[in-house]
Amino acid sequence: MVPALALTVDGMRKAGAVAQGGRFIVLFDPNSLIAAIARSGDRAAFAALFDHFAPRVKGLLMRGGTSAELAEEVAQETLLAVWRKAALFDPAKASASTWIATIARNLRIDIARRETRSRLSQIYEILDEEAPEQPDATLSGAERDARVRAAMTQLSVDQYRVVELAFLEGFSHQDVADRLAIPLGTVKSRLRLALSHLRSRLEDLR
Amino acid sequence: MSIVHRPSEETLAAFAAGQLDEGLAVVVACHIEADRESRQRLRELEAVQGALLDTVEPIAMASGPSPAATAARADPVSAAAAPISEAGMPKVLRPYGLGPWRPIGIRIAMRRVEVAGATARVFMLRAGPGIALPHHKHTGFEWTTILAGAYEHEYGRYAAGDFDEACTEHDHTPRVDPVEGCTCIVAMTGSVQLQGWLGRLLQPLVRF
Repeated sequence: MVPALALTVDGMRKAGAVAQGGRFIVLFDPNSLIAAIARSGDRAAFAALFDHFAPRVKGLLMRGGTSAELAEEVAQETLLAVWRKAALFDPAKASASTWIATIARNLRIDIARRETRSRLSQIYEILDEEAPEQPDATLSGAERDARVRAAMTQLSVDQYRVVELAFLEGFSHQDVADRLAIPLGTVKSRLRLALSHLRSRLEDLR
Repeated sequence: MSIVHRPSEETLAAFAAGQLDEGLAVVVACHIEADRESRQRLRELEAVQGALLDTVEPIAMASGPSPAATAARADPVSAAAAPISEAGMPKVLRPYGLGPWRPIGIRIAMRRVEVAGATARVFMLRAGPGIALPHHKHTGFEWTTILAGAYEHEYGRYAAGDFDEACTEHDHTPRVDPVEGCTCIVAMTGSVQLQGWLGRLLQPLVRF
């Protein structure tokens, strides 16, 4: 489930590069990079995480209509939070991508609503304090993420687009309808179908 | 706690995406805190966001601060002990100011929840056993999470942890459990017309 990609030499050394056919291939393993930061404030590990995730956080926000400037700011702050909170990351609760996506969501809310004294991001943090559910009764965070990912590849293009827009910044269902030029009812039914598809892929594993 | 009434898929998805009005989000969060099933659903919806992050086309960062410069701004933190919340209150209310309980009738009291960032009005309501809550109609949302006790109306019985997502033009008169009474947290949008003597008492206090 983890994308393989080439990193800088320094990052490769830290991430544990393997030689294959005379070329360095690195399995990008964000969990061990985050663990290295938590353990020893490893700056090379952080640089590798930053290079991978910052442009993706920026890309995700801009896909949702956020300006380049704001997306850049949220991406910077998200990676700073990853650096600071590495010790709080618990791979049993969520994959690194999911953890980072939730940090980005919270910071986007903080930054977008800073004039209104919003405390909404704290609500998500408090809900996240809850101990992981009984390990025998549920999937580990990594397994759940892998399932969700696999289920998402089975969505139709139309469903995928609706899910994508519905989860990105600032799109109400009406916005999604306007943007895709389809009726509101179609947005709702596609989203409901897509979510129930995801749910059914997960339920038998509970 | 056996919870039977939960938010719709769409409501939970909007909550997970950070798109709900903060007042409505507070009430949804009180339910999620109490309900393991909804917590799992929230984690799944967050995993969708993680999957989107993995598959999105990256966009190069502008030539801003380097990772090293970013890391130099702060030191890593270790896990901090969670602050203590007021006894019996949902933890998700910790960030918000709570007004005093004020009696608004016989055996019924309300307490404001100060949610500065919200359009919806948020308050807690505590009612003694057996009383009927004000009969009312409304044009917006009225979302409720039961914190203790129970009430019942035409759509069923709502007990501690249950979430009641009443929508537009819904006209109901909840009746409070005859033994346990009921304490709930409510977020309202739009305008509400309270009816009857209790409604007239409540109207100015809830600033509709």
